[in-house]
Amino acid sequence: MAEELQFQMGSILGDLPSFDPHNFSQHRPSDPSNPSRMVPTTYHPTHNRTLPPPHQVITTEVKNILIRSFYQRAEDKQMRPKRPASEHLAGEHGNKHFRASSSSSAQGL
Amino acid sequence: MAKKLSRLRGMFSSGNVTSRVFERQIRSSPPGASVNRARKFYENLVPSHTLYDVECPDHCFRKFTEDGLFLISFTRNHQELVVYRPSWLTYSSSTDSSSLPRRASRFDSFFTHLYSVNLASANELICKDFFLYFPSQRFGLFATSTAQIHDSAPSPGAVPGVPSIDKITFVLLRLDDGVVLDERVFLHDFVNLAYNMGVFLYDDLLAILSLRFQKIHLLQIRDSGHLVDARAIGYFCREDDELFLNSSSQAMMTTRTSQDKNKQQSREEDAENNGLQHRSSQQPNASDNSFLSGIKQRLLSFIFREIWNEESDNTMRVQSLKKKFYFHFQDYVDLIIWKVQFLDRHHLLIKFGSVDGGVGRNADHLPAFFAVYNMETTDIVAFYQNSAEDLYQLFEQFSDHFTVSSSSPFMNFVTSHSNSVHALEQLKYLKNKSNSFSQFVKKMLVSLPFSCQSQSPSPYFDQSLFRFDEKLISAADRHRQSSDNPIKFISRRKPETLKFKIKPGPECGSADGRSKKICSFLFHPHLPLAISIQQTLFMPPSVVNIHFRR
Repeated sequence: MAEELQFQMGSILGDLPSFDPHNFSQHRPSDPSNPSRMVPTTYHPTHNRTLPPPHQVITTEVKNILIRSFYQRAEDKQMRPKRPASEHLAGEHGNKHFRASSSSSAQGL
Repeated sequence: MAKKLSRLRGMFSSGNVTSRVFERQIRSSPPGASVNRARKFYENLVPSHTLYDVECPDHCFRKFTEDGLFLISFTRNHQELVVYRPSWLTYSSSTDSSSLPRRASRFDSFFTHLYSVNLASANELICKDFFLYFPSQRFGLFATSTAQIHDSAPSPGAVPGVPSIDKITFVLLRLDDGVVLDERVFLHDFVNLAYNMGVFLYDDLLAILSLRFQKIHLLQIRDSGHLVDARAIGYFCREDDELFLNSSSQAMMTTRTSQDKNKQQSREEDAENNGLQHRSSQQPNASDNSFLSGIKQRLLSFIFREIWNEESDNTMRVQSLKKKFYFHFQDYVDLIIWKVQFLDRHHLLIKFGSVDGGVGRNADHLPAFFAVYNMETTDIVAFYQNSAEDLYQLFEQFSDHFTVSSSSPFMNFVTSHSNSVHALEQLKYLKNKSNSFSQFVKKMLVSLPFSCQSQSPSPYFDQSLFRFDEKLISAADRHRQSSDNPIKFISRRKPETLKFKIKPGPECGSADGRSKKICSFLFHPHLPLAISIQQTLFMPPSVVNIHFRR
């Protein structure tokens, strides 16, 4: 709920609102003929969705972007959904080792 | 309209140096671009005048330091260091002639001899291709070595096949006055000294790779000038590994605990534990290095875990491991460290390869591997083969982060394909031209890990300012084949005119036409001053030319 308070700020700044009614209290209008109370319109948020998390401290990331990429790729490999064994292979479970050992001689990098 | 034009032309609306100076008074540069704007003045101040065949002492001129304060050179006998201060010539002449007076066009008008220091004793020679500069305290690191012995007697812990040098001395010298501050000696070892390949300086940390003993020695350069040993990575990964191993008495107990301590505890490694335990139990004497070195254990366990995590089914896992890991197990075990660089204060990029390619330069066709190693956690973070496209993508995007130098801010402005559109275009052109992408990737990744301080920060090599033939001249400080035609530097701004030419020297007579001429260029980092040295391979006296702005 916006709290409408008396306002009449200097024409340079216009009618910009503030969150603190005591802001601009030192501001003097350009022409002293019409004194005013100098309290700007204040607006307060009705929800707290935009508040930062409590005790938040923002610091610069120590690792540079290249090293971050290396770590990120390593994490992605870990998180990647692993290939589940298909039914087709599960059926030949019994003679799998036997087959593999005979054909492994020709493998290369 | 005028605003539109000025935006089109970049930061300055005119190419004229006077109007640029006036514009600089009233307009500040875009944020973060003050160095770029200052560099644009180098389009106007070019080293277009050449003094050919300047008479100078017959030294091997090596390099300007990156702050431009010193010119490093060595005597021909490679035993003395000679340091000059680059200055600018001053002269007065009574005549109005346009040519320089003879007394001004001399070597010592530009370079003041500061001192000569003897670094190498009788049988040692200074490695003239090795020099590292520590800019904050103006220290220089030099290396002297005795002769290389190729078929040396094998010693414990040494890799067979790597030559040995009786004594390598690294000398830390204060360049202001030539005082030797500290030395570090390596005996019966081998460090690749040519062009700083085996040593990397980051901030105040120095990594020296001992190829023969497969150790990465980390030293710290203190402000007082002392070289302090920080760590030696290789057989042991943490500083207290050796203490821990020595405190265990029984041989079998040592086997068990070292495997427990050096590898991370995870159930997937039981299989490998069994494998290695089986292997080492066949040689029960722990003293003759039946263990793999600490860093090799880290590497093998990382490869194991990576392959293990690719599959979720245990049977598939074992099959995949057999095919990809155990079949090549001995090849992985036989890998040696070829080269090392820092990525930041805690991470190293290590290049592994087979024993054959460690020393020779023509190792491009041999398989090689890259690993990112975290020194604090002693973990391997990533492992790639030299044909990995993933690694190439990172190389293409973040090449600046590979060529780390946290020292001076303007060293970050050396052109690379990550910070210059023109260099990136050239790279993409090469990529499209190549027949096989994996061959192209291998060729590009040969330059990793980068050698330290091997590029000149001179703005004349900035690709956004000038276009030049990279085969004839570039920021890398290698010498190259000399061409008869002058090397042209063409401006990148429209109109693309020729700004200046570097001609390496008057051509020799036709009698010498057959002998190969090589040429090296030393550009001052911020003055419009350059030296070109042309020499034939078999005749020592070289021709030295000075290029400067008159």
